[in-house]
Amino acid sequence: MKHIEDFAHRFGVKIILDQSLLVESHHRYFLLKPGLKELASRNFISVGLYLGRTRRGKLSPSFNLLRMIAREKSNKTFVDERTAWLFICGRDIFARGIMKIRGRTRRGDYTLICNHRDECLGFGEMLYDDEAQIRSAMNKPVISNILDIGDFLRREK
Amino acid sequence: MQGKRFFEHRYRQLGWQYHDACLKQAIRINSINTQNATVLDRLHSKGVKLKKVPFLKDGYWINKSAFSVGATPEYLLGYYSIQEAAAQIPATLFTQPEEKLVLDACAAPGGKTIQLADLMRNTGTIVALDLDKRRLTAVSNHLERCHIENTVVYNMDARQASRLGMRFDRILLDVPCSGNFATDPKWFQKRTLRDVHNNARMQRQILAETSGILNRNGELVYSTCSLEPEENELNIDWAMKTLHLQVQKINCFGEKAATEVSGRQLDSTIERCRRIWPGETQGFFVAKLKMCGGKD
Repeated sequence: MKHIEDFAHRFGVKIILDQSLLVESHHRYFLLKPGLKELASRNFISVGLYLGRTRRGKLSPSFNLLRMIAREKSNKTFVDERTAWLFICGRDIFARGIMKIRGRTRRGDYTLICNHRDECLGFGEMLYDDEAQIRSAMNKPVISNILDIGDFLRREK
Repeated sequence: MQGKRFFEHRYRQLGWQYHDACLKQAIRINSINTQNATVLDRLHSKGVKLKKVPFLKDGYWINKSAFSVGATPEYLLGYYSIQEAAAQIPATLFTQPEEKLVLDACAAPGGKTIQLADLMRNTGTIVALDLDKRRLTAVSNHLERCHIENTVVYNMDARQASRLGMRFDRILLDVPCSGNFATDPKWFQKRTLRDVHNNARMQRQILAETSGILNRNGELVYSTCSLEPEENELNIDWAMKTLHLQVQKINCFGEKAATEVSGRQLDSTIERCRRIWPGETQGFFVAKLKMCGGKD
């Protein structure tokens, strides 16, 4: 639970999950609907909403968790269509592709990457301390890609 | 007993003249995540030409696309799934699946599991089983991509499903089968009647096990992508006589199933099942069953 709370905190939000509906199995976290609770007592592959897994103490979030964070007033960077596509292909974000930044902009903070429709495509880490610095960094990445939805394709390989 | 001529002869006896299939790729819109019109507009604006599959509510054929429709942001956001048109039929045959306890006994790679969750509006519970643990990774990935909340996945053989100690309102048996030539160009070279008989035996074991955990008045949908009567009509005839299941009327695409196979007369209600011969879709067989004494 703490892993998830800490992770959400890096987006500037606090998410509260019902502890009684949270299950951990082999370092993977799942949020259950009440009807699934009893079924989670067996050895399962997946149950309910997959939230992510920890590796060496660090949370790798699922896209379900990112979507939950996106519903809150979280750090968000809105990018144009071309940048959105490049991001899905695993690329970092350059200043010229950014349409709008919402929330905190501090080096090391996490930000959700959203397209112009406010659809969450993944998340990245801010590489600069404020928006002015970001805007002036013309030919350097300003947000590093940590996870994008193209991961679904890369996982299959 | 194998080879193209042997199987062609069998199909002729079942009333179908062999011809090459012209299989089209199809998608199914996940209506819990988006609206059909929105996805259609977005794909259209990228130059994808779609055609509504006339017998499906959320199914569309891809008539033309310059890129893989399995790599668009819309796909990755879970707005649609790639699912062959005939394969979209079985899950739609259940009445009112919302809030029900549903068993998807042979779930991998998960296309029908996601479709069931969509039809259930993410309510109720789906228990998804598969014997092949590696293929369950694909199920988990699809569940995450489509934001499914109502499903538990176990690595379990459907022939041991009673070990769950549960009874189900709806059971989907999309059983492992011999497949058909429409999806495998080397099918005729590979398959023998012996394979068909082996698969039919395993399918009967699954039917026997799962019919025992079907609630009274519950519904069981049986489907295969095999064209062979041993895996279809003959198995249903066996299930009626041995497991006391009744075939229910269904209203879906396809021809009436055969009630006479190799001179053997089957129960007349078997014609309620549907046989889909390869064409724009792959070959398929579907049957909806209930326990005898259950309400229609």
